[in-house]
Amino acid sequence: MDKRLLDILVCPVCKGPLLYDKAKAELICKADRLAYPIRDDIPVMLEDEARRVTDEEMAK
Amino acid sequence: MDIDTIERVYRRYAPRYDFYFGALFQPGRRAVIQRMRCRPGERVLEVGVGTGLSLPLYPRDVQLVGIDISQEMLLRAHARRECERLGHVAGLVRSDAERLCFSDASFDKVVAMYVASVVPSPARLVEEMRRVCRPGGEIFIVNHFHHANPVIGGVERLISPMSRLMGFRPDVSLQRFIEETRLEVVERAAVNAFGYWTLLRAQPSRSLAASARRPDA
Repeated sequence: MDKRLLDILVCPVCKGPLLYDKAKAELICKADRLAYPIRDDIPVMLEDEARRVTDEEMAK
Repeated sequence: MDIDTIERVYRRYAPRYDFYFGALFQPGRRAVIQRMRCRPGERVLEVGVGTGLSLPLYPRDVQLVGIDISQEMLLRAHARRECERLGHVAGLVRSDAERLCFSDASFDKVVAMYVASVVPSPARLVEEMRRVCRPGGEIFIVNHFHHANPVIGGVERLISPMSRLMGFRPDVSLQRFIEETRLEVVERAAVNAFGYWTLLRAQPSRSLAASARRPDA
């Protein structure tokens, strides 16, 4: 992920900040509990394609 | 047209898009990018970047981000970036043009080529383009608008029920587009030999000075 891009990416739902999980290749919005996947270097910033973040993950 | 239809149609187009539409739209793309007068270091967003046909046409000293709804189209754009070593492309992102994933005022210039007749709501498209464009930045819309010529215009109206198959609406009128989006157009120009495509250059927000001059508006 290019830093120039990471700096400006926000959650498309709440326009809030995202956490970059490099190991899982995901961008996480804690407020909406959504994890957006990065597929083939392309962040998929669609609510329908995002994974719900579990309670366990939130506790971390 | 809803977003799923658009995605489906462009997934089908992806393998042959460059063959059918590459040569046809390329002179228009080139003309638009020249008119954008990008300066070194400027941050540019292209909405509806598709297979990335326009990526090599930008100056290499800008920071370019492209979005599209179709993963298949973006994969081709990504391959083009790698093959042609387009280091000025900072990112390719799958995003809904009406629900952008960038913080406010992230870009100096925001351009949408041949997108206005594809999206379900042109008003929401322009609203999001305004939001991510910095104050004092510029918005560029390139599109074919419904033809004033009664023969061509008639044909366009005839084929408009087929828009779900084609992936775009052929009968969007310029006047209605500007009314719906409240776009503050500062320049309007034809961008190819036949004048079939129109370039609109606009300000991201209605300036206070402009509203003060027109108290009745």
